[in-house]
Amino acid sequence: MLEIILFYIAATVALVSTILAMTRANAIHALIYLIVSLLAVAVIFYLIGAPFVAALEIVIYAGAIMVLFVFVIMMLNLGAKGDAREKTWMRPSVWVGPALLTIVLFAELLYVISSAEGPVSTGVVGAKQVGLSLFGPYVLAVEIASMLLLAGLVGSFHLGRRYLDRAPSSELGHQQEGE
Amino acid sequence: MNGSQMQALMPILMLSLTAIVLMIQASIKRDEKATWIITVVGILLALWGAGYARDFSQPVTILLQVDNWGLFFTALVLLASLVTVVLSQDSFSSEGGSKEEYYLLLVLSALGAVILIQSSHMASLLLGMELMGVALYAMIAFPKKGLLPLEAAVKYLVLSGCASAILLFGFALLYAATGELSYKGIGEKAALAYISNPLLVMAGTAMVTAGIAFKLSLVPFHMWTPDVYQGAPTPVTGFLATVSKGAVFVALARIYMDAELHQYESLILALSVLAAFSMLIGNLLALLQEDIKRLLAYSSIAHFGYLLIVLIALTGSEMASEAVTFYLAAYILTTLGAFTVIARVSREDQQKSQISEFEGLFWRNKIQATALTIAMLSFAGIPLTAGFMAKFFVINVAIQGSHWFLLSALVIGSAIGIYYYLRIIFSMSKTSGNDIGFRDRSGDITALLLTVLILMLGSWPQPFIAFAGGL
Repeated sequence: MLEIILFYIAATVALVSTILAMTRANAIHALIYLIVSLLAVAVIFYLIGAPFVAALEIVIYAGAIMVLFVFVIMMLNLGAKGDAREKTWMRPSVWVGPALLTIVLFAELLYVISSAEGPVSTGVVGAKQVGLSLFGPYVLAVEIASMLLLAGLVGSFHLGRRYLDRAPSSELGHQQEGE
Repeated sequence: MNGSQMQALMPILMLSLTAIVLMIQASIKRDEKATWIITVVGILLALWGAGYARDFSQPVTILLQVDNWGLFFTALVLLASLVTVVLSQDSFSSEGGSKEEYYLLLVLSALGAVILIQSSHMASLLLGMELMGVALYAMIAFPKKGLLPLEAAVKYLVLSGCASAILLFGFALLYAATGELSYKGIGEKAALAYISNPLLVMAGTAMVTAGIAFKLSLVPFHMWTPDVYQGAPTPVTGFLATVSKGAVFVALARIYMDAELHQYESLILALSVLAAFSMLIGNLLALLQEDIKRLLAYSSIAHFGYLLIVLIALTGSEMASEAVTFYLAAYILTTLGAFTVIARVSREDQQKSQISEFEGLFWRNKIQATALTIAMLSFAGIPLTAGFMAKFFVINVAIQGSHWFLLSALVIGSAIGIYYYLRIIFSMSKTSGNDIGFRDRSGDITALLLTVLILMLGSWPQPFIAFAGGL
């Protein structure tokens, strides 16, 4: 019973903070809400018997990736001008249509999932099981994922260098960065 | 994993090795020429690996399935990558003038395609698709000139990310219903799960279909295609049209066959609607295009509509798997032929891919004009070209399965198609007065080789049909 109450609290926090993250004009505020949402999801993972994944969610997503995001956005220094531009982009005429369609799909999905039967959780999955399957049957997936990270790294290096090369020679690159 | 499984993975190992050697080479001395040579040698080695691995057909862990059918497409995808490497050599320049990273990304993208082709599990499907996609985003945005490549890359990145998310959600729903992630496992449990949780299975399948249909740019998931085709550098467009789409289609066919999805009426209906809309809307919108790359984007939408017919009619005919092999081979060769010439004519100038820029090409470069003509005839399905035999197969399969509705859509679509394909040929034969000839050896040789292959598949197809039947 306590688990169910905790689950609903965590789920509510996740939903509310995600909606707030989407609607904030200030990028930093949005990111902080996103971190709260990820923490709430980690609680849900913990409750359904995946403590290892819960820890990873906090360490990797809420910790490493989000902190990186916050750093990048602070370095870009968007300020009040960014907020104003974001507000002009977020006119109701832009988001009402897609939001209505999404709500229809969401209602359908809720119905589908609530009509499903079967076990929700089958015991605790610890770090040992995760490690055993990652380096047992899924060892190739780990290797492919390493190649995927390499592709991401090389790609972002190349696209990022565009601005590094341009910045000292002309003001244009600098201005683009500032905006 | 034992030794024989490692040998079965030879093409994948060779491509990974190439990527690592390229990294090491770049850290010692940045040299575009050396990078180019290593890439070509690496892809040739992987091609050899695809032949070598034929003796070791087996499932490799739960993730990959190495068999002759997959190895044939591996070879085809590697051939397309090789042509892209040759075309990229002096087609466009990048920031700072050198493009070592481009070749590394191309090798990684080809690696993703090969994994996608050989995957037998949802995890490897997703990883292969993402590896191919992530490398492609950077390849599309690679040139320094103009904002179009950047726009194309951002569009592809955002939409493709959404499609992957939907695909992943679909996998989760299917896993909730069946408790399996391998194609075969899902197929075995799906029938039972369909009785107890029909909605869950249907929602999951719909999401997976939508995710894959996005990558194949079937109507109504086609919006990104013309912009990305136009914005990307032409060799990359060719790569996207052949390697990326071909590999995703092979993966779809594999899921469809391994999981025996042909027994579900609602899925067949959904695929039929996708196929019919793709054939009609793809061909109709192609009529309006002035840019040859946009035109080919819409034409590729239509061609994947034709290909879906084969999948829908899979059980009704013994020829169906040969038809997939033949059509995909013909489509990839024809597309490569067309993009070879377009890349040579338009170079890096975005404005030069207008159809009017091809006026008088017969007087400027006879070989490339002939190659583009043959490619267009093959797209249209004129006899003696590969496209004719491919369409013949599709129609044959559709008649055997008595899919009359789809057949009529195919006939109407092809009839519309002839108009805009011939328009390009007419445009090439016009004289514009100041036609200065240009010579370019690597482009001519590539175009000539591809043309010979297209004509051979079309006029003397028996050896290839026998080969495809044995796969």
